[in-house]
Amino acid sequence: MEAASLPAEGPKPKTSEVLREFLSKYGLIAVLLALPIYYGIQDLSADGNLTRLGNNLMDGLSNGAIWALVALGYTLVYGIIELINFAHGEIFMIGAFTSFAFWTEIGLTPSTGTAGLVGGLLLTLVVAMLVSSSLNVMIEKVGYRPLRSAPKLAPLITAVGFSFILQNVGVLWLGASQRAVPDLIGSQTELFNILGISVSRGDLLAIVATIPLVIMLTAFVTNSRLGKAMRATAQDPEAARLMGINVDTTISLTFLLGGLLAGAAGLINTLYQTNVWYLQGFTAGLIAFTAAVMGGIGNLRGAVLGGLIIGCIQQISDNRIGNEWTPAVIFAYLVLIMVFRPQGLIGEETREAG
Amino acid sequence: MRVRWLAALGCLFGAFAVGVTACGSSDSGGDSGGSSAISGDTLTIYSSLPLQGTSKGQSEAVISGERLALDQVGGKVGKFKINYVSLDDSTAQNPGTADEAQTGQNARKAVQNKNTIFYLGEFNSGGTKVSLPILETANIPQISPSNTAVGLTTDEPGADPGEPTKYYPKTKRTYARVVPKDTIQGAALATTMKEDGCKSVHIFNDKTTYGAGLGRNVELAAKKIGLAVEGNDGTDKTSANYRSLAAGIKADCFVGSGVTGENYVQVFKDVAAACPNCKLYGPDGVAEAAFTDPKEGGIPADVAARTQVTVATLSPEEFKKQGINKAEKFFADYKAKYGVDQPDPYAIYGYETMSLALDSLKAVGDKANDKEAVRKQLLENTKGRDSVLGKYDIDENGDTTLTDYGLYTIKNGKLTFSKVIKVQGA
Repeated sequence: MEAASLPAEGPKPKTSEVLREFLSKYGLIAVLLALPIYYGIQDLSADGNLTRLGNNLMDGLSNGAIWALVALGYTLVYGIIELINFAHGEIFMIGAFTSFAFWTEIGLTPSTGTAGLVGGLLLTLVVAMLVSSSLNVMIEKVGYRPLRSAPKLAPLITAVGFSFILQNVGVLWLGASQRAVPDLIGSQTELFNILGISVSRGDLLAIVATIPLVIMLTAFVTNSRLGKAMRATAQDPEAARLMGINVDTTISLTFLLGGLLAGAAGLINTLYQTNVWYLQGFTAGLIAFTAAVMGGIGNLRGAVLGGLIIGCIQQISDNRIGNEWTPAVIFAYLVLIMVFRPQGLIGEETREAG
Repeated sequence: MRVRWLAALGCLFGAFAVGVTACGSSDSGGDSGGSSAISGDTLTIYSSLPLQGTSKGQSEAVISGERLALDQVGGKVGKFKINYVSLDDSTAQNPGTADEAQTGQNARKAVQNKNTIFYLGEFNSGGTKVSLPILETANIPQISPSNTAVGLTTDEPGADPGEPTKYYPKTKRTYARVVPKDTIQGAALATTMKEDGCKSVHIFNDKTTYGAGLGRNVELAAKKIGLAVEGNDGTDKTSANYRSLAAGIKADCFVGSGVTGENYVQVFKDVAAACPNCKLYGPDGVAEAAFTDPKEGGIPADVAARTQVTVATLSPEEFKKQGINKAEKFFADYKAKYGVDQPDPYAIYGYETMSLALDSLKAVGDKANDKEAVRKQLLENTKGRDSVLGKYDIDENGDTTLTDYGLYTIKNGKLTFSKVIKVQGA
C-alpha cells in the first residue's frame, strides 16, 4: 500500500553504468579525435599551419573511400544473413585482376587519348562489376544457400574455404608477387592545391566514383521495393517469407549488390594504387571488415564512416608513426571502439544482438 | 623378488638408452670431424635458390653460371662424379624470396643425403639464417652467391644481437660467400650519394634480415662521410601504398633498402611521386627485371630514369680494363653456351660459387669426399684465389676480401653498367 503511494522512481543507475554511458558517448569521440588533434597541435607549433595534417586527411579520405566500398559488401551480407563473408575481399581482388586483364586486352595504355580512356574504363567498370557480382552470387548459391539452416560455423568455414580458393585462382592468374600495372590516369599527378593540400587524380577518382555508388545503394535499399524486401528479410526472414517476400532471391540480390560494389572497388583500387596482388583482397578484407565493425556492422552509413575513419588513421599513422606500425594502430583503434561502444559508431541492433 | 625384477628391467632400459645415445653421438661425432668421409664415388652439390616470383631471373642466371662451371670440368673432380641438384627455396605463396619453411626443408634434405659435399645458397640472407645452422650442425660446407647481410659472418655494425654465433651451434665455420658484405654495399651507396652531390638521405628498409641490415649500414656509412640521415623507416609489404610515408621525406636523396618481392616497385613509385626532386638509389636486392622492366611489372620509365642501383658485379669491359682475363673468358663461354651476350649480373657469381666449390674439392685430392677436409680447405686455405671476379681471399669469417661495387643505371628496362664505386666509409 505504502509503496503504491510513493512517487514512481526507477532504480538508481550504478556509478559504473553512468561512467560507461559517458565514455560511450564522449570517450569514443575523444579517442577518434586524439590523433588529429595531437598532430594538429604539433604541426601548428612546428610549421605554423595544418597543411601536413590536411594532406594526411586527404589521402585518408581517398583511401578510405575504397575501403568503404568493400566494407559495404561485408555489412550488406552480415545485415541480411548474419554471415561474415570472408570471401568478399577476394571478390574485390578478382574485380581488380579482371579490370587489369580487361583493359590490357582492349589495349588501354597511359598514352591512350582521353575519350578512349574514359570509354574504355567505363567498359572495364561494367565488366569488373559483372564478373565480381556473378561470382559472389554463384558462391552464395553453391556455398551458403545449402547451409542456410546449418549451424553458423558451417557457412563461416565455407566462406574461409572460398577465400582460399580465390586466392589460389589469383596466384595462378598473375603469380604470387605484387605486380605493378600501367598508371592509366596518372594517379599521383596533382590536379589542384587548396591551402597547400594537394588533390591528385587518384584522390578525385576514389572520392568521385565512391559517392554516387554509395548514394545509389542507399537509395535502392531505402526506397525500392527490392530494397524494402532486403530490410524486411534482415529484420525477420520468417516474417518476410510469410508476407510473400522471396527470401532466397532477396539474399541473392544482396550478394549481387555486394559483388557489384566489390568489382567497382577493384577497378578504382587498381587505378589508384597502380598495382595488383593476390593477397590484396585478404588485406583489404581485413581492413574493410574492421571498418564495417567500427561503423556498426549491418549499417550502411556506418560502413562508409568506418572506411573513411580507417583510411585517415592509416595515412596519419603511415606519415607520423611509421608504416610498419600502421596495422597495430588500426586494430588498437578497433579494440578501443569496441570497448567503448560494442555496437560500433552507428550501430544497430541485429537479430543476433537482440 | 618383484623389486629385483623391476631393477633388472630398469637396467635393460638403461642399457638400451645408453646404446641409442651412443649411436646418436657417434653419428654427430662423425659429422663434426672425426670420420666425415662420404662412401662411394658420387658427391652431391645442392643449389637452393628462389625459382619463383621476382627473383626467378636472377636465380636462373646463378644456376646457368653454376652449370657452366660444372660442365667445364666434365661434371667430375678427380675420381669423383658430381651430382648437381637444384632446389627451390621459394613457394607459390611466398615467391621471390626464400620461404623459411621451404628453406629449412631444403637444408634438411641436403643433410639427409649422405653424399652431400656442398650446399650452394641461399640467394637471400633471410634464407641462410635458416639453412646455415642446420648445415653447420652436419658440417656441410656452404657457399652463397649473393648473401650480403653482415650478421651471417660477423658481429660488426649492422648485425643483430647474438649474430653470428647463433648460426654456428657447433662453433665451427662452414659458410663462405663470394659477394662483399653489406658493410661494403652500404658504404658504396653512401659514397655514390656523396659523389652525386647529396646532402641528406632518407632510407626505407623492408625489415628483412637483408634490408634492415643494409639500411643500418647505409646509415652508418653516410654519417661517417658527412651525409645527414633524415630517417630509416621500415616498410610493411602488405601496405596498399606508401604515399603518406613517402610524404615525410625531406632529404634530397633516397635509398630503398629492400628486395623487389617486398613491394619495392610500389615503394619507389610512391617515393618518386612524393619527392619529385629526390635522387633514388637501390641495392642489389632490386637488381632484377621485375624491378627494372615495366613489362615485367617493374618501375615506370620516368622513375627508372632517376634510379641507380648498386651490384657487386662489374661490366665485361670493366673486368677487361682491370685485367681480369678469367672474367673475359667467362663471358665468352657463357655466350657460347647460352647465346646471351649480357648475362644477368648474378650469372658470374653463380659461376664463381660453383668454381670455388669444385676447386676446394680438387685441392684436397682424394679427400674430396671428406666434408671436414673440404670445409678446412674452403675456409682456411682460400687465399689469393685467381677467379673470374679478380684475386681475393676468403677470410676466417667466410667473407671475401673483394670490395669493388658496380653502379648501374636503368635503360630500356635493363640494368646498364655506369661505373666502379671505390668505397669510402666502410
